[in-house]
Amino acid sequence: MKVIIIGAGEVGFHIASHLSRENKNVIVVDRNPEALRRVSDNLDVQVLQGSGSSPVVLEEAGIGSAEIMLAVTNSDEANLVACLAADIISPSTKKLARLRNADYDDYHETFREKAPHIDTVINPDIEVVKTIYRMMKVPGAVDVGEFADGRIMFVGLYLDEHSPLNHVKLIDLPAKLKGVRPLIAAIMRDEELIIPRGRDRLMAGDLVYYITAREQLQETLAVFGKQEPPLKRVLIIGGGRIGYRLAAVLESQPIACKIIERNSEKCDRLAERLNKAVVLHGDGSDQGLLAEENVGGMDAVVTLTNDEETNIIASLLARRMGIRKCITRISKFSYFPLMSTIGIDQVVSPRLSAINSILQHVRRGKVLSAMSIKGEQAEILEAMAMATSAIVSKPLRNVGVPRGALVAAVIRKERIIIPSGDTVIEPDDRIIIVARREAIQQVEKILAVKLEFF
Amino acid sequence: MHWRHVLKVVGVLTIALACTMIIPLLVGVYYHDRSVLPFGMALAASLAGGTALFLAGRTDRTEFVSQREGMAIVALGWTVAGVFGALPFYFEGECPTFVDALFESVSGFTTTGASVLTDIEAVSRGLLLWRSLIQWLGGMGIIVLGIAILPFLGVGGMQLYKAEVPTPVPDKLQPRIRDTAMILWKVYALITAAEVVALWAGGMSLYDAVNHAMTTLPTGGFSTKNASVAQFGSLYFDLVISFFMVLAGINFSLHYQMLRGQTLAFWRDSECRFFLGAVLVLTLVVSFDIWGSIYATIGESLRYGLFQVVSIVTTTGYATADYERWPAMSQLILLLCMFLGASAGSTGGGMKCLRIMLCFKFCYKELFSLIHPRAVTHVKIAGKGVPDDVLRSVLGFLALYMGLFGLCSVLLAGMGVDMTTAFGAVAATLGNIGPGFGMVGPVENYALIPGLGKWLLIWCMLLGRLEIYTLIILLVPEFYRK
Repeated sequence: MKVIIIGAGEVGFHIASHLSRENKNVIVVDRNPEALRRVSDNLDVQVLQGSGSSPVVLEEAGIGSAEIMLAVTNSDEANLVACLAADIISPSTKKLARLRNADYDDYHETFREKAPHIDTVINPDIEVVKTIYRMMKVPGAVDVGEFADGRIMFVGLYLDEHSPLNHVKLIDLPAKLKGVRPLIAAIMRDEELIIPRGRDRLMAGDLVYYITAREQLQETLAVFGKQEPPLKRVLIIGGGRIGYRLAAVLESQPIACKIIERNSEKCDRLAERLNKAVVLHGDGSDQGLLAEENVGGMDAVVTLTNDEETNIIASLLARRMGIRKCITRISKFSYFPLMSTIGIDQVVSPRLSAINSILQHVRRGKVLSAMSIKGEQAEILEAMAMATSAIVSKPLRNVGVPRGALVAAVIRKERIIIPSGDTVIEPDDRIIIVARREAIQQVEKILAVKLEFF
Repeated sequence: MHWRHVLKVVGVLTIALACTMIIPLLVGVYYHDRSVLPFGMALAASLAGGTALFLAGRTDRTEFVSQREGMAIVALGWTVAGVFGALPFYFEGECPTFVDALFESVSGFTTTGASVLTDIEAVSRGLLLWRSLIQWLGGMGIIVLGIAILPFLGVGGMQLYKAEVPTPVPDKLQPRIRDTAMILWKVYALITAAEVVALWAGGMSLYDAVNHAMTTLPTGGFSTKNASVAQFGSLYFDLVISFFMVLAGINFSLHYQMLRGQTLAFWRDSECRFFLGAVLVLTLVVSFDIWGSIYATIGESLRYGLFQVVSIVTTTGYATADYERWPAMSQLILLLCMFLGASAGSTGGGMKCLRIMLCFKFCYKELFSLIHPRAVTHVKIAGKGVPDDVLRSVLGFLALYMGLFGLCSVLLAGMGVDMTTAFGAVAATLGNIGPGFGMVGPVENYALIPGLGKWLLIWCMLLGRLEIYTLIILLVPEFYRK
């Protein structure tokens, strides 16, 4: 499978890294030789210097034989033109563009339908806002995903010392909890990902990922010892694109919202566009301002400026002032491993969101959504079981689910089934699979239609 | 620096190398010759050595290979391959001392083709095949082969590839390094097979045809005959081998493009044009020079002139004539050919045409800017500007090459070797050619070089094959700092 990536920025780099580790043929195109050097020094991919919207360069990259082209440069216009040029040369290639300007928001579907040269438009800002909102709603969670149109929740949280589940073997879980059954899908312990079995124990400090039905979310959180009253007051630091979007979402809920922005022009624009939110002009890392605005009384603080160091400092300050829920925006991937050491657990990244939403389009078979979990060591896939794929019509234990992968849940119509070895998956079931990076290729294989009709 | 990772990879490569010893072992069994026992012992020793290296590094779990580790793996891998490849020569008793065996083995892997064996035809067939086989393996590169067949080298493969094939402007044929390595090896094997057929069809025995094909394509130059290719005395063989030597001196990615149907690939590449032009012009000049003084007819002069020029400029080192009896101009041209070498990305050694071309273009640019001090100019290859850092590394390479040539010649002369021999031997080993001048000319060999001198030349051969930087970096103290 050949993938051409236009743009060797942070998003392009990480998608390339992801895909090349899965043995896909990746070609990265960028105008900047320095950015390309970083790619070619670190990844096993081909690089090509030139403009991604030039037909000559696309031809040279072999667009004719590429299955997917991802246009992820910093410029929306460049991405649109690259898709157009690619479509003229190679109509059969699937083309995806990242468009970040909010003006395009309402036209994603229109583009998909009416613009023949673009198959998919993604805007990571929308995804980030959704992720932040979910994190706010789920107390204690550091990672929240939704599957099956939100009917299934995927939650990652740190296990506390005094949690009732500390030191419990997984096999003993059903006996300990009557009725509620969070399905533990993965555990991160000391940067190592474990796909757990019955005899594994939960330990304090583990980052536990589990799957549950939405209705049981609160109960499962209670089981883990995480409970909080519903959110009432939220402070947003940084009034950029994401900050504005988040404020707009919160306004539609019964949640009081304050937003701090350093740039006075931006403040003006925010005040104009937002109705209920209080727009404050000032520096988010200014302790005086935070105290003045009674940060201690907030239920959550979200730091969203473009400067990640400011975000980190602001979150740490808010923590010190007694806020339990601080969501921090970080872009540099190299900072991620540091975050939990300095006490910042809830981290969002527009780039990670972009990667997640792009990944689901790259996956073969009928993958409906995909998200990669901390450290990109594993992925959670939601897929439709196709009538002719290897996974259906036989008991799971005979399917040959690869090592390092786990079929975590099966959704049949309205029912959620926790599968065992005897479960038989039927066509049109939705399945949720947790897979380590190494196993993804094989997972794709069992999901794919045996005879490729298209 | 993850030394354990280096040991682990080198261990696996050694085990793979040991497995290739099965081929000469089987040939030895087939011919019932005395090479069977030595190969059995060498195989066991290499397997044990490889396993020991692997076990020493097995706990390592790094996935990422930095440029530094890549260089260490390649440098150490080639050294270790040389040592284990020498065992059959040593065990069979063809080489009286281990340094002789090591010289022969490293000369093989680096595709130099310099030999210390005085009576080649007396050597067992199994061992002669091994001698050719290690040239064949070394030609396209043992690390590149490793990347192609050992999946776990895929991660960080690019660092290894760059350390073993350090062309000024690397070209990757496929997005994934493993596919690139696989393609290069397939093309290489295909052309080798074509030469076997061509030679066999001309009446050479299958054994000789296989051996010569396996030493032509890597531009190695080991022959199974005492008098090298001259022993056959056949115009047909001379021409076939010349043809395949030229092919081996051309960038293998061009062969790939050619096989994919781009018939003009050779012509479109400026380096290839330069290389073929150089071969043509030098052949004509040398043939004209030896016409009348050595050979009576123009036909003979062309035949011997062509073969010698091609053999030296591609750094193969076969001989059909003793060029040391030729006029001084021809001899000097051949000496300079040793420095010129073949194309980048080919199996040949020397400085490589591309670097010489870039150097000339750079000199011209300097002259041009003396006349037009405010002119903005770029050194271009195929219409594209060459980045400054590439130019810098090319000039640095040429300076290092000449510096090492000077230093090693002085050292060799200091060991009691005469001046012509010292120059000739160092030029011929540094450029991976084989026959040099003086005591090591095309009809003599390296047996009479003193023991210490052989160590020096072994070092020169490895330097030349790994294009200096990868190996010499090991002498820089900064390399070992944490």
